[in-house]
Amino acid sequence: MTLAFVGGTHRTVPLALRERLAFSAEQAAEALTRFRERFPGREGVLLSTCNRVEFYAAGAEADGPPPPPDQLVSFLAECRGIDASLLTPVLTGDLDEAVVRHLFSVAAGLDSMVLGEPQIVAQVKQAWSLAQESRTSGPLTGEMFQAALRTAKRVATETALGRERISIPSVAVADFASGVFERFDDKRVLLIGAGKMAAETLRYLRAAGARDMLIVNRTAGRAGDLAARLGARAGRFENLSAELAAADLVVSTTGATAPVVSLELFAEVELRRAGRPLVVLDLAVPRDFDPRIGQRPGVWLYSVDDLAAACAANRKSRQRELPAALTIIDEETQRFMGDLHHRSTAPVIERLRAGWNETGEAELDRLFRRLPGLDDASRAEIRQAFDRYAAKLLHPPLASLRSESRAGPPHGLLDALKRLFDLKD
Amino acid sequence: MIEFVSGISVVCFAASYAVALACEASRLLFRSGVRGAAMIAFAMAGLVAHTLFLAWRAAHEPAVPLSSAFDWYLLAAWLLAGGYLWLTIANPRTPVGLFMLPVVLGLIGAAQVSSRAPFPQSPATQIWGSIHGIFNLAASVAVAIGALAGALWLIQAGRLARKQPPLRSFRLPSLERLAHTTDRTLTIAAWTAAAGFLSGIVLNAVNRQRGLLETVPWTDPVVLRMAALVAWLVTAAVAARVTRRSADGPRTAAWLSLVSFGVLTASILWGVFGTTRHGAPPVQPVAAQAVGQHAFEREVMP
Repeated sequence: MTLAFVGGTHRTVPLALRERLAFSAEQAAEALTRFRERFPGREGVLLSTCNRVEFYAAGAEADGPPPPPDQLVSFLAECRGIDASLLTPVLTGDLDEAVVRHLFSVAAGLDSMVLGEPQIVAQVKQAWSLAQESRTSGPLTGEMFQAALRTAKRVATETALGRERISIPSVAVADFASGVFERFDDKRVLLIGAGKMAAETLRYLRAAGARDMLIVNRTAGRAGDLAARLGARAGRFENLSAELAAADLVVSTTGATAPVVSLELFAEVELRRAGRPLVVLDLAVPRDFDPRIGQRPGVWLYSVDDLAAACAANRKSRQRELPAALTIIDEETQRFMGDLHHRSTAPVIERLRAGWNETGEAELDRLFRRLPGLDDASRAEIRQAFDRYAAKLLHPPLASLRSESRAGPPHGLLDALKRLFDLKD
Repeated sequence: MIEFVSGISVVCFAASYAVALACEASRLLFRSGVRGAAMIAFAMAGLVAHTLFLAWRAAHEPAVPLSSAFDWYLLAAWLLAGGYLWLTIANPRTPVGLFMLPVVLGLIGAAQVSSRAPFPQSPATQIWGSIHGIFNLAASVAVAIGALAGALWLIQAGRLARKQPPLRSFRLPSLERLAHTTDRTLTIAAWTAAAGFLSGIVLNAVNRQRGLLETVPWTDPVVLRMAALVAWLVTAAVAARVTRRSADGPRTAAWLSLVSFGVLTASILWGVFGTTRHGAPPVQPVAAQAVGQHAFEREVMP
């Protein structure tokens, strides 16, 4: 055993327990320091996000194996002051190849609540950086996390897993509003209502460049609060008609039970708009805009259902990318495990090489003593010929070792080499 | 090197553009990580070959690049191919090639069936001939780009009206940008086509006044088709301006730009397959031949 892991996610750990188990950056650093003291020579990385807490441990041959998953569960429980019996049934553990496969899947966003979400890559990177700062990361976890980030990059570039947007506000802004408008910094955005979805949509619009944003709400106080929070202006609900005439993009999320903007009201507004296009994101249920308004020329009206349908299509599109992403995970896992197994052959190869070099040097010394008339150039030529000969003889067994490492640790070959060439541990 | 450049033929760059177009069309069928690079590589190879071909002709033929129908079409195709390459590099996910490359290939095809013989010119009228050619070229390129923007506007508007999110490898520019391009190109096309037509009249008048070369009669099919094209483009530009402040303005402009392209295409086909005195070598009455030929030789011959 070289690698061990224990962890729980939104799928396995209830929210209440996940909140208790979560580590802040300071708490994670403390936990890693404690790990270093408790398990000297072992490597450890702690990944704690809103949706998961995971501990990756590794141990090289010389320093002993990493703590097994049950010890890691106890360790996490101790760090967070939770009864370990509460964690045991909800945390899962894995060893060696399964650990690598799991980390690669996590980094690529395949294990996330939102398939393919990109924030996890930065979180994995942060977790590894913290382990480096806390001096619990070593060659094994270092290579594993580097490989995980490389895998995440491959999945991101070679598949379209994370390209489609799947939240309603992001689809509304990036797929529809951006289809109508080239830029938002010269557009007036009108927000009717002060719902949570509207606030999120405004954040996306601000990120897209929107500067002139006005919020109107029946309760003026709420509009003022939201406007202050989002850096927008608050307007009067009574001026809705005038504000609609001036707006380029409207986001509506009121809790009204009847349409706030009727076809008749819009007909009046339309006359004052001078043909400018209008995008309406009607995120309210029931709808705030009469659906017939969407049939007016120059009006692009999208309801929650329209946007949800686009989100669902995008989600399906991400799902279709899953097999390609899993193939990449599989390839990278095999490559990493092959390299890891090959690393375990290094001491034997080193001893074999050293033994041959020693014998070669002894033979060269004997030869040079018997041929004292050789000049330096001839000696160098003979020495090079010996080195080339040794390298050529070593090549087939080393190639066999590398090839065998792809399928698992090449114990059989290593034993054979030790016995054949009398290599002592 | 000279041998290599002299060996470049129209087929070389037409084939490169055709492969780039095939790559563009494959966007509709499957995703590929290398398609973008292949598309740009083929278009770039085509443009380099196209440039070398025109440069070779400029160096070895008299009075090119706008001195024959063949060169005129090839130069128009070259400008559009350059525009395509620039737009594709700037917006790799926008399938402009699906619309622009067929026009490029069409112009190359028109060049192939057009005369390579230089338009008769004299030093006195060469400047007016160049102005005439350049304005007509600018008008044609503007109409083609306007039609591209108009077609993309209608597709994008259709998708947005049907609430369809953008396709991954088939992202269209925003309606705002497309409407702006359509509007601008309609105006440019009208002005440059009018300037091209007027400069043609001046060229004809100078020829007639000096008795240098063959003058083109008002009833010549080329004059008529150019007059019709100019009249249409001016009407389209005015109509687009009038409807600009209505909600249907962008849609109207998009359709106008597409119809303009149709009118231009019909005009080109008429020019390619019709009979005309435009750009033809001088044919003079027997009585005038002695004096006229003498004057012609004095002006044209070295």
